[in-house]
Amino acid sequence: MTLGIIENLINELMRLPGIGRKTAQRLTFFILTMPDEEARSVARAIDEVKEKARFCSQCFNITDAEVCDICRDERRDRKRICVVEEPSNILVIERAKFYRGLYHVLLGAISPIDGITPEKLKIDELVQRVQANGVEEVILATNPNTKGEVTAQYIRERLNAFPVQVTRIAYGLPMGSDIEFADEVTLGKALEGRRRM
Amino acid sequence: MLHRTEAIILKTMPFSEADLIVSALTLEYGLVKTFAKSSRKTKSRFGSSLEPLTYVRTSFWGKEDAALPRLTQADIIRPFQKIRDRMACFFRVMEIVELTLGFLIEREVQRDVFHLLLSILMKIEDEGPANDRDVLNTLLYKIRFLDAVGYGPRLEGCARCGGSGYNFYIAQGSILCGACAKGMDSPVRLSPGMIKSYGTLRSWEVSKSARIRLSRTLLAELSDMLDAHIRYTIAKPLKTKAFQPS
Ligand SMILES: [Zn+2]
Ligand SMILES: [Zn+2]
Repeated sequence: MTLGIIENLINELMRLPGIGRKTAQRLTFFILTMPDEEARSVARAIDEVKEKARFCSQCFNITDAEVCDICRDERRDRKRICVVEEPSNILVIERAKFYRGLYHVLLGAISPIDGITPEKLKIDELVQRVQANGVEEVILATNPNTKGEVTAQYIRERLNAFPVQVTRIAYGLPMGSDIEFADEVTLGKALEGRRRM
Repeated sequence: MLHRTEAIILKTMPFSEADLIVSALTLEYGLVKTFAKSSRKTKSRFGSSLEPLTYVRTSFWGKEDAALPRLTQADIIRPFQKIRDRMACFFRVMEIVELTLGFLIEREVQRDVFHLLLSILMKIEDEGPANDRDVLNTLLYKIRFLDAVGYGPRLEGCARCGGSGYNFYIAQGSILCGACAKGMDSPVRLSPGMIKSYGTLRSWEVSKSARIRLSRTLLAELSDMLDAHIRYTIAKPLKTKAFQPS
């Protein structure tokens, strides 16, 4: 009996991204030796997420309510919207503890070769928010790669009609790196986006 | 074993936490898919070298028949950043990339196609920004590419008897005269001007194509015929078509 259920857990864990057989085995044996309550609490958390998680009706962040914590937080600056590709990007930006405005999650990026058209993303919803709520600045924080760039360009054009400032997060060299290892595109963009000191 | 070759990056697909699967048209090995470890990390040594259209010098590691060799190096020769910076132009170019991916077989050496794609990208970047030139250059690529892989439409008179004719039959991929087309339905009537332009685009040296001037009407007529032919040949519309202004 035992091997069947253990093999089963290993196989289930291997469905997760970045987890191969070896890691799945390690996790399985760790789970086996965990205190009952802790292991159950992991299982419950997965259950709960699948049962209750949904997209915020305003910003498309992941939440367990109609509107997410950030959109509900009265202390946040409602005149600024930071546009990101994925809900996980919000966590990263929040960790930097620099930004105090609201967010808008596109749930992807424009990609012709994959057939991801603007209509498949939450871009219309962003335009509606800008139109309705007296937003002063839209910060485009899509990824600094071709898909993210194209998406930013597209949104920039869509927002041309509105009296809103559209900004793009700066391109640059990663902190802690050496300029000698930067390629010409990265360096070109960093120079283009230089600022007065 | 280690392979070294020049390549043009066609498409990347996120894989696992921070990796990419990279489809590239290489000079020495044709279309190759490789695996680029940690390439999405901010400090990845691949930097921007794996963005679509980038012309790179690559090394990849794997046995001759390895399904997914590992990309170990990609040094930029020419980034083609100006094409990616112009959204409408980028969308057009991605259409020819999708066409290329749709017809090429992995690991089948296609030096002609490699040189063709490279010279067209250079033309588009050097002649731009000009929408009409983008249209002409991508059209030129489509025509030459289809010829290179053996799927070009045949427009020099009737494909059966060599007689004269202007009716293009999509299912045959060719022009047929009245007698040879008996019983077949709904041809597309092509104009003599269009057929002549098609001949020009097929035969001129790509390097001299900057001298070719075609009216918008002719460009549109050529594009429509070719797109219908491509749709029929690959039995589905290209995904990138949704991005082209009609
Ligand atoms: Zn929200
Ligand atoms: Zn005939």
